[in-house]
Amino acid sequence: MALIIPCPQCGPRPYTEFWCSGELPDGGHSANPGDLEADYARVWLRRNVAGEQRERWYHHAGCRRWCSLTRNTLTNAIHDVA
Amino acid sequence: MTSLDFEGRPVAIEVGDTIAAALYRSGVRVFSRSFKYHRPRALYCGTGDCPNCSMTVDGEAGVRTCVTPAAAGQRVHRSTGWPSAEWDVLGALWWLRPLLPVGFYYKSMHRPAGLWAIAERPIRKLAGRGAVPLDQPPGRPERRYHHPGVCVVGAGLAGLEAALAAAEQGERVVLCDEGSVGAMLPPGPLATRVAARAREVRGTPGILLLERATAIGVYEGPLVPIVAADALHLVLPERVIVATGAAERHAVFEGNDLPGVWLARGAALAAARFGLALGRAVVVAVETEAGLDNLDTIRQAGVSVRAVLAPAPLAARVAPGVPVLPDSRVVMAEGRSRVRAVIVDGPGGRQRIPCDALVLALGLVPRDNLARQARAASIAVDWAGEVASAGAASEAGPSAPRGFACLCEDVTAADLDLAWAEGYRGTELLKRYSTATMGPCQGAMCHAHLRGFAAARSVEPMASEATTARPPARPVRLEDVAAGARYPLEWHTALHDRHLEMGGIMEWAGIWKRVERYGDVLEEYRAVRERVSIMDVSTLGKYRIAGRDAPAFLERLSPCHVGDLKPGRSRYALLLNEAGYVFDDGLVGSLGDEGYYCTFTSGGADVMESWLRDWAEAWGHSVRIVNQTYTLGAINVAGPRARDLLGKLTTDPVDPTAIPYGGIRRLTVGGVPCTALRAGFVGELSFELHHPRLESVRLWDALLTAGAELGIRPHGLEALRLLRLEKGHIIVGQDTDFDSSPAKLGLEWAVRMSKPDFVGRSGLTRLATIAPNRVLRAFTFPGPVAPREGAQLMVGGERVGYLTSSRFSPALGYGIALGWVYRSGAGFPSTVGAVDGTGSILVGTVTTGPFFDPEGVRLRA
Repeated sequence: MALIIPCPQCGPRPYTEFWCSGELPDGGHSANPGDLEADYARVWLRRNVAGEQRERWYHHAGCRRWCSLTRNTLTNAIHDVA
Repeated sequence: MTSLDFEGRPVAIEVGDTIAAALYRSGVRVFSRSFKYHRPRALYCGTGDCPNCSMTVDGEAGVRTCVTPAAAGQRVHRSTGWPSAEWDVLGALWWLRPLLPVGFYYKSMHRPAGLWAIAERPIRKLAGRGAVPLDQPPGRPERRYHHPGVCVVGAGLAGLEAALAAAEQGERVVLCDEGSVGAMLPPGPLATRVAARAREVRGTPGILLLERATAIGVYEGPLVPIVAADALHLVLPERVIVATGAAERHAVFEGNDLPGVWLARGAALAAARFGLALGRAVVVAVETEAGLDNLDTIRQAGVSVRAVLAPAPLAARVAPGVPVLPDSRVVMAEGRSRVRAVIVDGPGGRQRIPCDALVLALGLVPRDNLARQARAASIAVDWAGEVASAGAASEAGPSAPRGFACLCEDVTAADLDLAWAEGYRGTELLKRYSTATMGPCQGAMCHAHLRGFAAARSVEPMASEATTARPPARPVRLEDVAAGARYPLEWHTALHDRHLEMGGIMEWAGIWKRVERYGDVLEEYRAVRERVSIMDVSTLGKYRIAGRDAPAFLERLSPCHVGDLKPGRSRYALLLNEAGYVFDDGLVGSLGDEGYYCTFTSGGADVMESWLRDWAEAWGHSVRIVNQTYTLGAINVAGPRARDLLGKLTTDPVDPTAIPYGGIRRLTVGGVPCTALRAGFVGELSFELHHPRLESVRLWDALLTAGAELGIRPHGLEALRLLRLEKGHIIVGQDTDFDSSPAKLGLEWAVRMSKPDFVGRSGLTRLATIAPNRVLRAFTFPGPVAPREGAQLMVGGERVGYLTSSRFSPALGYGIALGWVYRSGAGFPSTVGAVDGTGSILVGTVTTGPFFDPEGVRLRA
């Protein structure tokens, strides 16, 4: 697989330089701290969509910063990187 | 005149020769022996599509000599045939073929058991395609990345034009070809056009032309790996254009593999470009327009054609001067080591035409391996040129039983018939059972026949589907697969060489190599318990965390209080994931205005860094995180005389008021600036000295020298594991797993549920509603032997748990262990029998607290 991640710091780089921590829960991964139900959903439930999803990627072989992006899981098209 | 070395004799080469051309000119007629039956094989396709000309060149097996340029001094030999390829005694296997039916391994090698183990070696030797040169150091090709708009595979006319068209649109292009552009074309108008286009391409800055560079696959992305002599090019284009062209159609009839049978493109090349003599009496079968051109090329090269077989419309257009047999076709080639005659069916009946070469121009099949790979992986690619226009598989299916459908794997039409009769009724099944299409040419010759064969026998569309093509499309050397992989496969601390000099026996610890022991483990253990010892702990994950929000950040990360740490103090912290399970532990130390210094387990230093940064961003905290794992070394100085040793090397105070247990303080030791941590993993007075990595050797030597009179002796991991087990300290990852909550580990004391928020708190709240189904317990095993680690724990025939750590304790004189026990009824078993496969059952009892020095008097000294 070849996938280019547009790192906000380093520019387009091959995905092999990154780690992916999977889909980003609604509202980010620290939404509603202390809300047991929200925490449970965030930790355990995945939508696993065939289509667009928000994800977190970590540029471990580059700037060592995280970015969030929207990736189409069918086509690997990426947009809205932040 | 230059020459290459062919099996010990010089063979002259002419400018522009391929290896095969030079060999053929020098009289070589048998190029290889076939895979299974050891039949003589010779130049057939002449265009790099079939396996027949494969030889070993300069130690590399499986080189297609018909497309490999000859070079002075090359060492070339045939990989198969004994005593020679010309006279191979195993050629007799052809006459034994009733004993070697398709799938004969499965039919013959299963009984008696062990037969295959004996037979495998000779069979592999017989069926080999040459040896991997183990004495030759591998090359070190580079890995290069390209990100063009377009990647064009194949630099024939279509590929060149596609590249030029894309470049005109302003796109950057990578264009590659297995050979040199135009090298495989006979002189003529096409060659002239290709040469002109190639000049344009070379003059276009936006096109990178890679020659003698083989695209081996199309992967998702898309990614096209291209193997060249000096580099593996990883091309990541916006789109891919496959212009790999077409190969001359293979025909299946008895004797179709005999030397002297040629495919027309290769024959035209051989005659017109390399000036090779095809034979004195050549029969040509033509069924296409392009075949007529090839026939002309061959005749213009001066080859004497005895007869031309062609359908009537084409027959009428054959240039005068040769006998033409309209509407005739080849049914068989006669001969034993080469073609002697061809049997032809025509309107006038069957006739035998003596000849010494047979040239086949029966049509084109697309070289569609890459395109099929892309289709199988749902990757969109464009096709250009003959790969697109050549007809898809429309073979009637081979009918002559002795004709070879698959040349690579020696699969005859009879073999396919048998496989079909045995129930392998579809292309994918036939492929797996007969191995047809699975040889070096990856179906280039036989794939169409396999489909035609199945289509003729089954109406199921699935049965005759194209088989899935997978990378690599061409054989690839292992060194090319490993191109660019130069990372050291093991990491060393700065003291690695010192450890080796001192006789250290190393062991893996994640990606690191660490000392297991230097000599006697018990002596190392005693040095720690009785005198003083040092250990290289540079592999610890080490982080500086500073900034305005650092206290709040660490407080929210850890399940215990750390935000209230006074400068110069440290605290043990568990790290929980969001589900509430322990995934790491370490020390958080406050350096006052300089922020915090934290150490975590050796294994996952990089993962820890990403985790820290993830939370810092999620909470929007203003913190700076510096991973110092690789810039700092660390040496643990432990033992009752540790303070005496440091006293000799520093003028800084090291008394318990200056740096008490749990303290953190800057010390200069032997001239090396250190951050000292009073930790207690081994249960003795100890100072972990964290220092710049470049100073590690100096510090290590200074400690050893100054400690000599104190009886110093370094210790390794094995002593460490024993020392910490006596203290009942867990190793995260050895004693814990994915399901280890603090409650199950007996580490509730390290969690403050009264804190309003920390990572894992809600997970723990949820877990608290479920009684733990298992817990980690400490066990004692009276007697001189401890059970092995991993021993199963039994109570009355029931398995109730297992040990994760177990050692004989020299201090206590009995076995000590940590292990998991499962809930049984209302509680957990307190007495267990440990079964470890040694035959004995050791009875152990659950205990609480550290085994050794439970009050921690020694480590607080």
